[in-house]
Amino acid sequence: MKNCFNLKSAFLAATLIPIGAIAQAEKISIAVGHQSMCTDTYTAGIVIKELGLLEKHLPTEGAYADAEYDISWADYSSGGPITNQMLANKLNFGVMGDYPLIVNGAKFQETDSLRTLYVAGTGYNLKGSGNAIVVPVESDIYSIDQLNGKEVSTPVGSAAWGMLLKAMQDNGIPTSDYVLKNQSPAVGAANIAAGKIDAHSDFCPWSEIMEFRGTGRKIYDGAETGVPYLHGVVVRQDFAEEYPEVVQAFIKAVYEAGEWIREDPMRAVSEMEGWTGVEKEVLYLYFSKGGHLTLEPSIKTEWIDALKFNHGVLVKEKAIPPLDFEAWITEDYLKAAYADMGVDYAADKAKMVDPAVANEGLPMEIWHARDGISSYATMPEFLTAVAEMQGTGAKLNSTYVYDVETGLKLFGKTAFWVKTGDGYATFLRKGEAEAYAAENAGALVTFDEAVADFISET
Amino acid sequence: MAVLRTLHHTIAQDWQRMLLSGLLFAVLFQVLMLLALMIRFQALPNYVVAYDWIGNVIHIVKSTPSWRDIPPIINQEWLLEVGKINYEYGTGISEWSLNVVPVRMMVLFVLGLLVALCTSLQRRDTCTAGPATTLRAATGIGTILVAMTNATMSWVVCCAAPSWVVGLAMLGLGVATSLALETMGPALNIAGFGLLSCTVVFLAWRKTRAAKSQMGAPSHA
Repeated sequence: MKNCFNLKSAFLAATLIPIGAIAQAEKISIAVGHQSMCTDTYTAGIVIKELGLLEKHLPTEGAYADAEYDISWADYSSGGPITNQMLANKLNFGVMGDYPLIVNGAKFQETDSLRTLYVAGTGYNLKGSGNAIVVPVESDIYSIDQLNGKEVSTPVGSAAWGMLLKAMQDNGIPTSDYVLKNQSPAVGAANIAAGKIDAHSDFCPWSEIMEFRGTGRKIYDGAETGVPYLHGVVVRQDFAEEYPEVVQAFIKAVYEAGEWIREDPMRAVSEMEGWTGVEKEVLYLYFSKGGHLTLEPSIKTEWIDALKFNHGVLVKEKAIPPLDFEAWITEDYLKAAYADMGVDYAADKAKMVDPAVANEGLPMEIWHARDGISSYATMPEFLTAVAEMQGTGAKLNSTYVYDVETGLKLFGKTAFWVKTGDGYATFLRKGEAEAYAAENAGALVTFDEAVADFISET
Repeated sequence: MAVLRTLHHTIAQDWQRMLLSGLLFAVLFQVLMLLALMIRFQALPNYVVAYDWIGNVIHIVKSTPSWRDIPPIINQEWLLEVGKINYEYGTGISEWSLNVVPVRMMVLFVLGLLVALCTSLQRRDTCTAGPATTLRAATGIGTILVAMTNATMSWVVCCAAPSWVVGLAMLGLGVATSLALETMGPALNIAGFGLLSCTVVFLAWRKTRAAKSQMGAPSHA
């Protein structure tokens, strides 16, 4: 091995020293692979890039006094190519979802000399919301058990694929009882719109894009699997060891990106729509107060358990290599970055946001095209406001309510509404809405019917 | 030794044709893959990206400590990417693409050379129809195995990584079967080359034997 190294060193000396000699001051190249079509990666990708947050936090003193930074960003539609580019050392950082993260760690550990480190999260949904199964809006399928014998597509290898497998297993539907098709998010969305596929399982924010565009309807949310859905940041170990302060700077940028979004979600999603092309109303479902995503970079024990579970699925279905989680996951950079920022890491790590609890009592919202977001504490107030705004011919971008069962934020127009006397309740799934209606002597109504109850005659 | 001499003689006689066949095979296979993608997806490509392959290879060699890790990484390096981006969602998503990978082109070039060598050795072959058909079938199967496992098409459904099973998935093979076959790629590739190499050796041996028996036969008997 050593001889090989010497041989290689000689080869490199002959071919590369002239190139290296040109460089005068230390130039640190930082290349980040991110995904502008995956909402949960935004705080470690597009937001940092567009706000220049990494530049803001990069070290400029001590050993870095003469450093010259060359930052580049590469946008990908999935995590797989990011891993390939990291192997080729064309990217130092990669931002991706849980399943691709595991493949990343395992693929690197399969090599002799290369490793990545999982250094931070970006955000999470404790119960697994973000992935979902969608059917065409006119479909008569309302629950996952109706997928028996149907054609279901998903981007194989993605987090949505893992969720689909688990959801089907949990509901006692073996793979032999449905036809699994491999379809990209864009193709799946187009097929849902055209009614060419019975159901499509996808990751964030594709399901909500389909709902917002009125082409698809969720029948199953990842939250039902109970397995946390998370995204994170991996970095090449050689880079992290050479420039630990740069990794800490990146984590500080992730943290600040989260703060920036929390500060003014409406401003944030409007900006992000311009950067990514994803509709701001869809992004609001994720990034607003009560949204699907909790922005917080700490690595929790529960995340490691979830990643180990996901690795088991991948080993079984894709025969991926083993992964030493102890060697791969490190909190060292996070702790150092938090300490530098004067933020209590242990407190953040201990915090766990469960939408069912955290979203209880949150107000419903209306996004008026001209006036922005307004909030309403009760259903009658909310429905009255919608009726009044519609009465004036005002354009409403969107309305938001919460699922009684899971606490998930929903579009008002896609929720299942139950009217019980003077009260109204909203649900993600039809089955639960029907059960609630039966228990409370209520009836299922459409959003328009609920609004119609509040249209004044004058 | 006689077999090697036959091979050497055949290559010396036909090297230009073999070289041309190798080059044509490598290039035409790329064209064929692009056509397959266009027909399968009923769409023309709308983007082309060229990559600094040499620069990237130098970068990989420079930054990968172990020699053993270098070949599989270089094996994934692209020279050219031609495909279709769907702009209906976000800033656009590459739905499918052909990735021209120099390492794979070299493999296809060698494949073309071997096929040309087989045909050279089979030319003027006087054996009966049965064995000739078997030999052609062996050449064909070997070629298909190698060509199939060196396909470099990407389809975003396969998490946008070029894999030889993308071709099979495009043809409608089930997801589970495609994934199960993916790990068999190197074995199938070796099997294809093995089959072709055995065919070449067998053809050279038979040609040598035929030449010897012709030399040994009494003239004007």
